[in-house]
Amino acid sequence: MSDKMVVDIGKALTSEKINSINEEKIIIATENLNFYYVADKPALIDVNIAIPEKKVTAFIGPSGCGKSTLLRCFNRMNDLIPDIKVHGKILIDGDDIHSNNIRLEDLRKKVGMVFQRSNPFPMSIYENVAFGPKVNGENSKSELDAVVESSLVQADLWREVKDRLNDSALDLSGGQQQRLCIARALANKPDIILMDEPASALDPISTGKIEETIEELRGNYTVVIVTHNMQQAARVSDYTAFMMVGELVEFNDTRSLFTNPNKKLTEEYITGRFG
Amino acid sequence: MNSPDSSKYHKKIKRSNDIAKIIITVGGYGVIASIVLILMFLLYESLPLIISPSVDEKDLGIADSKANDIIATGLDRYTEVGYFLKAKGQIVFFYLADNSTAYKDSISLEESESIISFEKGTLGKDIFAVGTNKGRIITAEAKMSPEYHRNSRTIKCSFKTNEIYTVENLEENTGEEISSLDFTENEDGFNYWGWVNQKGELKLRIYDSDEEEYYSHNITSMLGDVNISSIKFSSSGELLMVGTDKGDMFWFDLSDPEDVLLKDNWRFSNSKITKLEFLIGDNSLLIGQQDGSLTHWFPVRKKDGDFKFTRINDFEKQNSKITSIQASPRNRSFFTINEDGEIYLGYSTTKSIQLKLDHTENKIISATYSPKADGLIVIDTRSEMIYYSIDNDHPETNLNTLFGKVWYEGYENPAFVWQTTGGSDEFESKFSLIPLIFGTLKGTFYAMIFSIPLALLTAIYVSQFAPKKWARIIKPTIEIMAALPSVVIGFLAGLYFSPLFEKHLITAFALLILIPIVFLMSIYVWKLIPENRRLRFPQGAHLVFIIPFLAASFITAISFAPYFEDLLFNGNLNQWLYNTLAINYDQRNSFVVGFALGFAVIPIIFTISEDALSNVPKSLTSASLALGASQWQAVMKIVLPAAAGGIFAAIMLGLGRAIGETMIVLMATGNTPIMDLSPFNGFRAMSAAIAVEIPEAPVDGTLYRVLFLTALMLFIFTFVINSFAAWIGDKLRKKYARF
Repeated sequence: MSDKMVVDIGKALTSEKINSINEEKIIIATENLNFYYVADKPALIDVNIAIPEKKVTAFIGPSGCGKSTLLRCFNRMNDLIPDIKVHGKILIDGDDIHSNNIRLEDLRKKVGMVFQRSNPFPMSIYENVAFGPKVNGENSKSELDAVVESSLVQADLWREVKDRLNDSALDLSGGQQQRLCIARALANKPDIILMDEPASALDPISTGKIEETIEELRGNYTVVIVTHNMQQAARVSDYTAFMMVGELVEFNDTRSLFTNPNKKLTEEYITGRFG
Repeated sequence: MNSPDSSKYHKKIKRSNDIAKIIITVGGYGVIASIVLILMFLLYESLPLIISPSVDEKDLGIADSKANDIIATGLDRYTEVGYFLKAKGQIVFFYLADNSTAYKDSISLEESESIISFEKGTLGKDIFAVGTNKGRIITAEAKMSPEYHRNSRTIKCSFKTNEIYTVENLEENTGEEISSLDFTENEDGFNYWGWVNQKGELKLRIYDSDEEEYYSHNITSMLGDVNISSIKFSSSGELLMVGTDKGDMFWFDLSDPEDVLLKDNWRFSNSKITKLEFLIGDNSLLIGQQDGSLTHWFPVRKKDGDFKFTRINDFEKQNSKITSIQASPRNRSFFTINEDGEIYLGYSTTKSIQLKLDHTENKIISATYSPKADGLIVIDTRSEMIYYSIDNDHPETNLNTLFGKVWYEGYENPAFVWQTTGGSDEFESKFSLIPLIFGTLKGTFYAMIFSIPLALLTAIYVSQFAPKKWARIIKPTIEIMAALPSVVIGFLAGLYFSPLFEKHLITAFALLILIPIVFLMSIYVWKLIPENRRLRFPQGAHLVFIIPFLAASFITAISFAPYFEDLLFNGNLNQWLYNTLAINYDQRNSFVVGFALGFAVIPIIFTISEDALSNVPKSLTSASLALGASQWQAVMKIVLPAAAGGIFAAIMLGLGRAIGETMIVLMATGNTPIMDLSPFNGFRAMSAAIAVEIPEAPVDGTLYRVLFLTALMLFIFTFVINSFAAWIGDKLRKKYARF
């Protein structure tokens, strides 16, 4: 796999001091990624980033900095918006996700996503979790049962819902719904899980549970999480990327970025001088 | 804060709040109340159809006569004056109001001669024949004609003897007693007399007033060895029915006065036939018997093409011998009198005895309908006269005739028939609502199978797939279709489209087959284009791509269909359908209506379901796409179920619209009230029947009320459908649409 990597990892990194990333296996990489919602107004400017596999990577930055846009580039969710333009390359496992050889459905199966607001389908808990496998062609009942259970276990929801799998997912609490969405994403057995501010609409206790869940996922999945809660980024992530006005300012392992930022902008942001 | 200004201001706000609350409450309840009132009004107008008749009894006192010698009675059309005829020939006209005598006259009889039989000639007229014990048949006429002086009406009574006929071959001493006399005078000036003499012979005498010629027949030999107990002419005189004491029936054809023809004879029970009567229209025959049974018959064409009198109905059996049956001159109602003095009022079509009058312990000697059939006068053996006024406005309808199969005269089987007006007074209106309900449902069905797929697929396309700028054009365009007056659609469908469709039936069918095939083919060709090149086209380009294919299929169908027609269907598909499949092709048929009505319904279904589909949160679509679902899967599995409530409501509203739609079905269906599922036939819908027939329905008449009942049915239909839609829609929304 890694020999297929075309991207120059050293170029993708903003600091030569970071050794740890060099040792990681990279799963997502971008090359001079420019993204336009409207022509001539780039939302992402020359982003080069390399995200390590099976680690938790956080994107932080002020509102409108492009962190969600970048996240949505990875599973091409931005394609739903009419008239967007993407320049540059996005490589996942070394494959250009915009190439004709990649089926969009396969990409999205491999790159799961959890949205800012929980959005369970108006169906039973079971049907919600089984939805991904089903649309991807899994029909065996026993297989689906197993996937539903393991996904719910991983999302730390199994204990709470195992007796009411056939109840409507809409009867769950907000935090449970969000963990259900995580379980739903896990049911596709993705390599990567994108989380777009998954806890921003939740109370502190539910947020804590989500963070616990992310903790559980570490090591098995590549998790990319967008957050504007810097404490959360510090708590859950291995690596953190700081973005501003469409540009990737700094990308480093979390501890270094928070304790010893390389850029003045980063320091000003994490110390709360703006944002 | 507590300045007087502020408190004034708060008061003002409170007052406007209160007023608004009252207005809104009154408005809301007002809507409900008016719907309930409409419903009540429709009920009020249609309920009399099934209400039982009521009767008012009026004792007129003792007739000016000794007991037991009254032979016959009669009434004028205003039921102001009545008359009775005594055995000795005196006729007395009297006022019903106070039983005072208006006029007296008499038939001149010989001494010791007395009247022993009496028969009125024509329904509702007072020309009658009497038979005497001296062998004379005297035909006479009692006239009670209204005269108007200033503003008051008086009835002028007169009496004249038309003809006195003495039966030939008198017995030496006693003369020939005339029993079982019957007489009729038809509209062509023929008079028919028939009687049975002492020897039991059945004799006929026919007088043609145009030719001034008499014909006489003795048809006893045609009957064989029987005892005749009752005879009856139809009022046209063309039929003669004879009943015997053993229960035999004979049917003679007298249409040729020179040649009497025995058409049929049969026996259906052993009980003596005591009374025969034809109902108005000369079709229905009532047979009353010794054992109290009363049966209804009329001629029905059998498989071999011959008509046979067929037993249609047995009325409730009475406890004693039926002595008299009299048909109403207005409709198919009648009354019977039995030996116990009970009067039964019945109606042939509804198969029911509608009223029972238990008269007195005294035997009834005579009873007569008033000419308008709104009352009857009865005289018993004590010469007590009673007038019953009958309130029976709609005897021809009950729940069975409105909703069930009825065996109408002239039909081979019981059937659902809607045929409200005919050419003559004798025509019986047929009010089965089933063909109308069927028509409405049929039209709705064809409209829905045409419009639901089109409207829903368009809604799905516009809300989920179409580029935004296309959607912005398509949606309002379809919505403008709803503003097209239905009379315009009906006009186009009925006068332009249906002849075109008839002319190019084969082309239409060819297109029906060709378009889906070509459509699938073009999709296949589209898929053959490499994906990276395909993606370079602007969004929606695939539609433009399909247009040439569709155009090609149109041209193919139009240019090659006639050859196909020549080749496969002998040059004319319509004729071929009729010859080969026995399918009758009407120009205005359900296809055309389905198409036209569909046009009226599509905008409703489209708009509402498009809204429902668009209101499904994009987050759900995104979530399913993010899980690797294709766009089609996301639509089918997530968006459609979530919008199911709205889509269901849309379909139901469209259904309600189709059911209530009037002008289109009126103009494009041909309005034939037949019950046939074939798409090539027309139908008559409830709404169209109301629109067409209400102008010719007399206020408060039966048709008028039946049309109100039809309106009530329509109201109930749409009410039930809308309530059902609301209920189901609500359930679906609760299940799927909580986001």
